[in-house]
Amino acid sequence: MSAYYRGSSPGGNAGYPDYSGSPNRSQGYLKTQDYPDFSGPQTNPGYPSKRSNPFSAGSRTNPDHHGSLPEPDYIESQSNPYHPGLSREPDYPGSQQHPDFASPRSSGMSAVSRINPGYLGSLAEPDYPGAQDCSNHPGPRANASHPGSRRNLEYASSSINSYIDALGEPDYPGAENKTSSAYIWGEPDYPNAEDYRNAPKFWGEPDYPGDKNGPGYGSSETQEMIRVLSETSSTQHSFHCRSNGPLDILRRESEDYPGSIEMTSMEVAGPREPCLPGASGAGYVNPAYVGERGPVCAYGNLPLSECDWHKSPEGQKLIASLIPMTSRDRIKTIRNQPRTMEEKRKLRKAVDKERSKQCPQTLELRCCAQCLNSCSRGFRRSRNGVSELLNTTSLWQKTLKVIGGKFGTSVLSYFNFLKWLLKFNIFSFIVNFSFLVIPQLTVAEKNTLPFTGLEFFTGAGYFRDTVMYYGFYTNSSIRHGGSGISYNMQLAYLFTIGACLIICFFSLLFSMAKYFRNNFINPHIYSRGIAKLIFCWDFTVTHEKAVKLKQKNLSTEIRENLSEIRLENTKLTFHQQLTRLSAHVAAWLVSTGVAIACCVAVYYLAEYNSEFLKTHRNPGAVLLLPFLVSCINLAVPRFYSMFRLVERFELPRHQVYVLLIRNIFLKISIIGILCYYWLNIVALSGEECWETLIGQEIYRLLLMDFVFSLADSFLGEFLRRIIGKRFITSLGLQEFDIARNVLELIYAQTLVWIGMFFCPLLPFIQMITLFIMFYVKNVSLMVNFQPPSKAWRASQMMTFFIFLLFFPSFTGVLCTLAITIWRLKPSADCGPFRGLPAFIHSVYGWIDTLSGRPGYRWVVWIYHNLIGSVHFFFILTLIVLIITYLYWQITEGRKIMIRLLHEQIINEGKDKMFLIEKLVKLQDTEKRANPSALILERREVEQQDPFDLGEQAAVPDLRLRQSFQDDNSKA
Amino acid sequence: MGNKQTIFTHEQLEAYQDCTFFTRKEIMRLFYRYQDLAPQLVPLDYTSCPDVKVPYELIGSMPELKDNPFRQRIAQVFSQAGDGHMTLDDFLDMFSVMSEMAPRDLKAYYAFKIYDFNDDDYICAGDLEQTVTKLTRGELSAEEVSLVCEKVLDEADGDHDGRLSLEDFQNMILRAPDFLSTFHIRI
Repeated sequence: MSAYYRGSSPGGNAGYPDYSGSPNRSQGYLKTQDYPDFSGPQTNPGYPSKRSNPFSAGSRTNPDHHGSLPEPDYIESQSNPYHPGLSREPDYPGSQQHPDFASPRSSGMSAVSRINPGYLGSLAEPDYPGAQDCSNHPGPRANASHPGSRRNLEYASSSINSYIDALGEPDYPGAENKTSSAYIWGEPDYPNAEDYRNAPKFWGEPDYPGDKNGPGYGSSETQEMIRVLSETSSTQHSFHCRSNGPLDILRRESEDYPGSIEMTSMEVAGPREPCLPGASGAGYVNPAYVGERGPVCAYGNLPLSECDWHKSPEGQKLIASLIPMTSRDRIKTIRNQPRTMEEKRKLRKAVDKERSKQCPQTLELRCCAQCLNSCSRGFRRSRNGVSELLNTTSLWQKTLKVIGGKFGTSVLSYFNFLKWLLKFNIFSFIVNFSFLVIPQLTVAEKNTLPFTGLEFFTGAGYFRDTVMYYGFYTNSSIRHGGSGISYNMQLAYLFTIGACLIICFFSLLFSMAKYFRNNFINPHIYSRGIAKLIFCWDFTVTHEKAVKLKQKNLSTEIRENLSEIRLENTKLTFHQQLTRLSAHVAAWLVSTGVAIACCVAVYYLAEYNSEFLKTHRNPGAVLLLPFLVSCINLAVPRFYSMFRLVERFELPRHQVYVLLIRNIFLKISIIGILCYYWLNIVALSGEECWETLIGQEIYRLLLMDFVFSLADSFLGEFLRRIIGKRFITSLGLQEFDIARNVLELIYAQTLVWIGMFFCPLLPFIQMITLFIMFYVKNVSLMVNFQPPSKAWRASQMMTFFIFLLFFPSFTGVLCTLAITIWRLKPSADCGPFRGLPAFIHSVYGWIDTLSGRPGYRWVVWIYHNLIGSVHFFFILTLIVLIITYLYWQITEGRKIMIRLLHEQIINEGKDKMFLIEKLVKLQDTEKRANPSALILERREVEQQDPFDLGEQAAVPDLRLRQSFQDDNSKA
Repeated sequence: MGNKQTIFTHEQLEAYQDCTFFTRKEIMRLFYRYQDLAPQLVPLDYTSCPDVKVPYELIGSMPELKDNPFRQRIAQVFSQAGDGHMTLDDFLDMFSVMSEMAPRDLKAYYAFKIYDFNDDDYICAGDLEQTVTKLTRGELSAEEVSLVCEKVLDEADGDHDGRLSLEDFQNMILRAPDFLSTFHIRI
């Protein structure tokens, strides 16, 4: 609206440079005295140009429509001899001339209203859908109903909207012809007005006095009007489906929102006021109405509303709501607008302008604000720079694109997960390297052990005395030069690993939360999902063959789905159910048994192995245990997946989940048993430097796992392809088993986290293996696999994977490390913690030394009262439990709310259908009863309104009106 | 990339950054992609905002869109005139909406427009039929297609008016978590 003024004559422009920036804009609309200069706009030479502004802007190519001058047609209508005051009238012919007038507009409108729900209340007009509906009811402003119609279910149907549109249209030309009286003019325009004689009087006369004293115009009249309107509507049943709605709403609005009364009344008065000779003759036009008018006609017009969108009330409201936001939120909101770039850019510019205007007036403050502004801008720029820098390291952009193009999102999710883990490990490596390895390297002793090459596999020998393992790190404080600054290795070791894990914890938590939020918004409504099949076409797939294959798969899947729906009611017999159930039970028993057997085997082998190694001196012998574990990891999951020959699941998804659960159970229990072995046997055996031994063991496990994966990719998958292609062609090409591959990644990552304490460079090793794995898997995928045939719930699976990574894996690691640090005794002769009774005692000792120094009392206090205090944690837990409980209750309430709203939507839909039916019936009877009048009316419409493109919409409306009259006469 | 200052002014780049989900580098990359489509048409100097449109034939032949069954609709929805000919702004808009960062609502809005073949703001049975035909390359029989449409309307039509409004569509998209990752074109 401000733009409306701005776009006006130069004088007006100069007069109101700050208008749009005025913080109390809504108030400005309510009180017309805010615009004294605009009284009598019809004599203002600038007015036509103002008028033309939105229309000329309709041409998209005109970037600077502000300066555009009146277009001829407006001048023409301006020069209408009968209506000196009808300067506003060009609106209507103008809008009628627009070819898009009838239906497509609603698209623009829907856009506007859709994105605006958050801004209710900043401006009056679109705030109350009811108010708008009311304004369109009087007539000319019919098009204004569109924004409201979206929210107002009764009017959502465009056919009804077009009636409303049409209602106003024929009347305007009529108004031009009938210059003499407001009443005559008013009659054809408003069906109610015609039927209820009190209505035109009310609308015609009392309005205008009120109109003249603009601000005072108000609530009492509206109340009265509303009462009248409600009377009319209540007595009028046949008209119910159309008129009652808005009136009702108006009434409700005004009852509910006393503040809105004034607004709604203006809405009602605004559209009719310009057409009344009384008003124009008085030479006074309430500027507020003029203000109202611009945006509304901006609504009416699609090209206009697109181009000049930010000047419409919606746009203005958006701008107003954008101003107080932080720059980050603002950019986010602007980005999220479903509008073209041009509009977004204009919006951005407009907001910037408003903001600069809003700057505090006093010099100091302005200075301050400018300073802050430039600061924030600089900060934003630097942050952009940083994010750009981070994005340059975004690896494999192209490879990922190719994979997505050929195999779709589901396979892509595996690679994304791999990349995500790689980032994790890079981060851990950087932290460990800079805070542990570099300080240690400055005081490193010479390594005297021989290097043969086998050490790469065993991790022992030469590597024992390098920064790789715990045992090499010093327990003293590192001091360089005479600066007196020392670096306590004990604390550094503990805190670095701790910080690493905590950061991992939070990033896991946040990404998990993000996935949960995205995927479980509405978890309790899952339909069969044929709609999802249709609307979730994978736009990432770009490869021609892949697209064809996908289309084929999709049609098969749709067919399957359809046949499932058809067969839905066939129930299984009791016998079949029993066989199924027994198959499930047997499968679970077998799988659990196998997993337990594997664990036992690993445990005894590990025990036996330590005995064996004492007598056996071959350095390669240590590889036996990792070899066996990797064999288990390779073979047993394949054995599990063979169960599907016996087990039958109703949904393929269930099968995937069951398989995942069995596999993760196996892997985690193997790791668990190994941890038990390490912590309870190796650590207590009194070996020299047991931490290094554990580190080596984990290194070997990790490496062996990697080798097995490589072999699997190169040999297993390759062989499978050869077999499938050459020998048993019925097998065909295999599909990429995402679940198994992801579980392998999770397994390796768990090992890395456990081993990080004993071998700080393990993330580095994992980094390299992941890097290689990416390429190997990529090549194998391209050569050996075909795209998946089923639509895979990739994102849901991703959520599940990250959850698995968090829950058994990461939490298990935390428990293991907590036991290590609090319970176990570090080895006596090596590592940073040598000589202490437990690892944690290094922290106790540090706190003791700190309590001696007065400057660090607060650290000691925090330690004693918060970290070390049982009471604190007790209270904290209690609070967290209470909050959780409350949130749980809130969630329950929301669920009920959702259900109710859902029911309401359905009911509204039924209402709508019922009303439409009734309307159609009414029209039919009407047509039969009085065809001649209809034809007459129609002819009239055609004469008066040659530009009317919504003609077919206008006709039903007329029928409706006709029926209205009939009903009335009968009454 | 050294000459990016001569292609866009600093303000232009900043505006693009604020209006899309891209970084400066990605914007430049997209610009070069755009320029590559029609090197003789698109100037290397955008500081004066030339009014250049790349015709749909060239847009539709991009490897990202070439095989997409909805390429024509995509181009129509994102071009200002609805004819598929795109300016640089439209081009950036399109990839911004299709990018990873775009929120669900925005994506759903444009997806709705893409599936709304007759631009009447509702996905009606006719639109659904066209969608299904495009998706399955006409492999389903007419009866199957109509059955599918019926089922889809059954499932997703919240207010039972026989067609899908934007709200219905968004509501359904909420239940399809894969939508976010599949309504995505990598650049």
